[in-house]
Amino acid sequence: MFKNYLKIAFRQLLRNKTFSVINILGLAIGMSAFMLLALWVHNELSYDRYHSKKERIYELWNKSIWSGKLECWNVTPVVAAPTLRQHFPEIEAVTHVDWPNERFLSVGDKKLSARGNMVDPEFLSMFDFPLISGNINTVFKDPHSILLTPELAEKIFGHEDPVGKVIRIDNEYGVTVTGLINTPPNNTRFQFEYLMPWSLHEELNGQDNNWGNNSTHTYVLLKEHASIDNLQVKVKDLRRNYARDSDPYDMFLYPMERWRLYSSFKDGVESGGKIELVTLFGIVAGFILLIACINFMNLSTARSEKRAKEVGIRKTVGAMRSSLVKQFLGETTLLAFISFVLAIIIVQISMPAYNELCMKRLFVPYSSPVFWVLCIAFILLTGLLAGFYPAFYLSSFNPVGVLKGTFRKVGALVTPRKVLVVLQFVFAIVLITSTIIVRQQIRYVSERQVGYNKDRLVYHFLSKDLDKNYHALRQEIIAADLATSVTKTSSPLTEGWSDSWGFVWEGKDPNDKTDFDRFCADEHIVKTAGLQLLSGRDFDLQQFPTDSDAIIINESAAKAMGFKDPVGKIVKDGDVPLHVIGVIRDFILNSPYHPTKPIIIEGARGWFNVVNIRLNPQVSNLAPLEAIFKKYNPEFPCNLYYVDEQYARKFDDMNRMATLATLFASLTIFISCLGLFGLSAYMAENRIKEIGVRRVLGASVMNITSMLSVGFLRLVFIAFIVAAPLAWWLTGSWLKDFPYHIALRWWFFALAGILATLIALFTVSFQALKAARSNPVKSLRTE
Amino acid sequence: MIDLKHIYKWVNQGANKVFLLQDINLHIAPGEFISIMGPSGSGKSTLLHVLGMLDTADDGEYLFMEQSVRQLKEKQRSQLYKDHIGFVFQAYHLIDELTVYENLETPLLYQNCKAPERKAIVSDMLDRFNMVAKKDLFPAQLSGGQQQLVGVARALITKPKLLLADEPTGNLNSRQGEEIMDLFLKLNQEEGVTIVQVTHSEKNAAYGSRIIELLDGRIQLKH
Repeated sequence: MFKNYLKIAFRQLLRNKTFSVINILGLAIGMSAFMLLALWVHNELSYDRYHSKKERIYELWNKSIWSGKLECWNVTPVVAAPTLRQHFPEIEAVTHVDWPNERFLSVGDKKLSARGNMVDPEFLSMFDFPLISGNINTVFKDPHSILLTPELAEKIFGHEDPVGKVIRIDNEYGVTVTGLINTPPNNTRFQFEYLMPWSLHEELNGQDNNWGNNSTHTYVLLKEHASIDNLQVKVKDLRRNYARDSDPYDMFLYPMERWRLYSSFKDGVESGGKIELVTLFGIVAGFILLIACINFMNLSTARSEKRAKEVGIRKTVGAMRSSLVKQFLGETTLLAFISFVLAIIIVQISMPAYNELCMKRLFVPYSSPVFWVLCIAFILLTGLLAGFYPAFYLSSFNPVGVLKGTFRKVGALVTPRKVLVVLQFVFAIVLITSTIIVRQQIRYVSERQVGYNKDRLVYHFLSKDLDKNYHALRQEIIAADLATSVTKTSSPLTEGWSDSWGFVWEGKDPNDKTDFDRFCADEHIVKTAGLQLLSGRDFDLQQFPTDSDAIIINESAAKAMGFKDPVGKIVKDGDVPLHVIGVIRDFILNSPYHPTKPIIIEGARGWFNVVNIRLNPQVSNLAPLEAIFKKYNPEFPCNLYYVDEQYARKFDDMNRMATLATLFASLTIFISCLGLFGLSAYMAENRIKEIGVRRVLGASVMNITSMLSVGFLRLVFIAFIVAAPLAWWLTGSWLKDFPYHIALRWWFFALAGILATLIALFTVSFQALKAARSNPVKSLRTE
Repeated sequence: MIDLKHIYKWVNQGANKVFLLQDINLHIAPGEFISIMGPSGSGKSTLLHVLGMLDTADDGEYLFMEQSVRQLKEKQRSQLYKDHIGFVFQAYHLIDELTVYENLETPLLYQNCKAPERKAIVSDMLDRFNMVAKKDLFPAQLSGGQQQLVGVARALITKPKLLLADEPTGNLNSRQGEEIMDLFLKLNQEEGVTIVQVTHSEKNAAYGSRIIELLDGRIQLKH
């Protein structure tokens, strides 16, 4: 029996090749899009969920009013960890984790840079990062020790046993490999290639007991059965009780399960966060799958109508209803299975590109039983949904009626199918509109005036040697005619690393907590960066040695301070009086999506991390410049960055989003068109007699094609009416997240509507034309 | 074998009842070969469908082998039907996707016949109808006469006691028609299969042992 069904199923597939290909391919594409999105969503949801002590792990956060807003942030003073350890019996363990740092590792001639952290020994027992070799209690006993991941160990030592070997870090100090640690999985916030003990950090930087210096992350492991609520009350006043030299902010412990998805705070409470994107992706995934399933159903049932005869015959030769139900369900399940296999292949092939697109290391969990159970459940469900109609509807018919051909209940099924087509197109139009708007927003923001000249501008981070030899370096670059101007700054021009609301000026309202970006530059910053000077002058230490204590402010800062004529005014940073020597037009330091903030550029008395070089227009090759860097900084490779490239990276996230939106919009449209194609084929077939009669009565091919197409266009129009306000609302609330954004214009929506209409028209007219051109003699004879 | 008593069947057209069958009384003994004749719309096919349990009467009593069909549950009726009745159609109604062999096999599948037994029965039938060479062909590859032969073979494969044929020669040329009728006669006389056929042709009707003429849903004449 089963073999018989299988045979019928396969012969049906072969007989209707186009139909089968469309049906299977449509479902397979839908399934693979769903799988890719689901893997992404699952990865996000599983972030740091695998630690065995996850319920008891917390991160220390601050809460305070900044620039008039209640803000929360997770950078804490170094001294917080020992304080918690010492005074809170509810806490089992505490660890610092510093910023992931790119450090330069060398062993003999082998030199490479790797990213890692400095942590307390408790880190190893709090989180699930098992050691491959080494004793968890002793690996960090000596401050000069390091744990390597197997990948990094192999990169440095090849197949030799690394334990006991010495590695030089940043050419400054040596550490001994005390063990190997498992590479962190792709779903944890801690991504390191090596770990070094916090005691080394202390040895290098000294004990930092300043509560005002927020510089590290602090993690806490609660004791079992300890009450987090009681602890929260005490931690809230941590700074008030233990800090002598800091503003008394609140502090709180933030549970591990909230870190990844919810850690976006507004006015002191969680608001939005990554969970919004995860939910959105989940919804998109669900919709794509739904649309694919709907189509599969539509196409399967449209074809099953043709099989009414087979049902009739089977009934007259003795088939019970139940065996027909089984047959049809089996057939659709088989189709779903074939689609699934194809989907897995598509996913596997597109995985590398997809991973690059979403910057993750996703993989299909072939070894997970849960995955397979879900897949099987999914195949059965799809098969069942698609086979439901033919199985139960067709099998219920009186065989006499079916065989005589009096069986025609077309209208009954058309309405729900029309609703489904409308639904698909609503979704497609919303996605097209979103794509248009995301792309418009990117274009708008990237065309925004930066405020400086980012072309032919490069920078290099200052190492110890470069800092020491800075003047010689600068002299040599200028003397070699490689650059027109060279300036040291506190951070690259594309990133602000410091801000403060502690500036004081004449006439300042004591309650004014305006936050200023703080930037430092030694001299000629206006010339090097190509900033636009509105009044005053650039830093020039040669002519004005006091420029070391001077500042240049931007327009917004002048406005914030209420200065009509800022040049010559005194602004205090803490206790140090600084005099304004120039005002520049606002430039974008951080996010191009936000309005520019007030900026204060401090002179040579500041701190410096970056050397900026305005290339001479004749320079076409960076090699001579690199050679100079190599000369003054022999231990490190030369890494010159182009400012325009770095600026462009601010759009990476957005571009990625645009690519994803385009990808999924096209997939949805493609799948929707398959559905429309199937439905129009079905309708044309059912009206073949009517078409024949009309042709005989003198209708032209054009008359009939338009008659058949108009009905479908009406559906797309209805979809547009529903989709436009929905898209308006969705994109409007998305744009609100960007203070600097485009206005919604009617033509975005009209364009999406026209696009959807054209695509639909193309799909439908293909079938309509085919039906209209068929020979009426043939179609009339079939009855 | 079959007793019909005061069988009525109607459809509602607006307020009026249109009778398809009116007061049909008919007794069919085992081994009879009956031809039903009458003009188009006289209710021939409806009567045949009622006899074949593909359709139910609205009123009256139908006894099939002493069992009242109207009182049977759907499942029992289907069982009765599967075991005792074979159907032959004017348009053959073979499953296009299956080969001759597989078409013949289909009714056996629904009788839960084991594979080796099925093979034996089908091979036997192919032999009997001289179709061994054609067993792997699809219906579309056969002529009308050959298709109808397959149709008859399929109807006979479950060894039914009653064969119902709805204009079995209607789509065939006269030579092919004669072959089918000869086959019916042989089945009736040599194997004792009870046959009821609907036909337009006097010549074919004459093969039967009895002719029933219908007009407007009533039996006019019994020969």
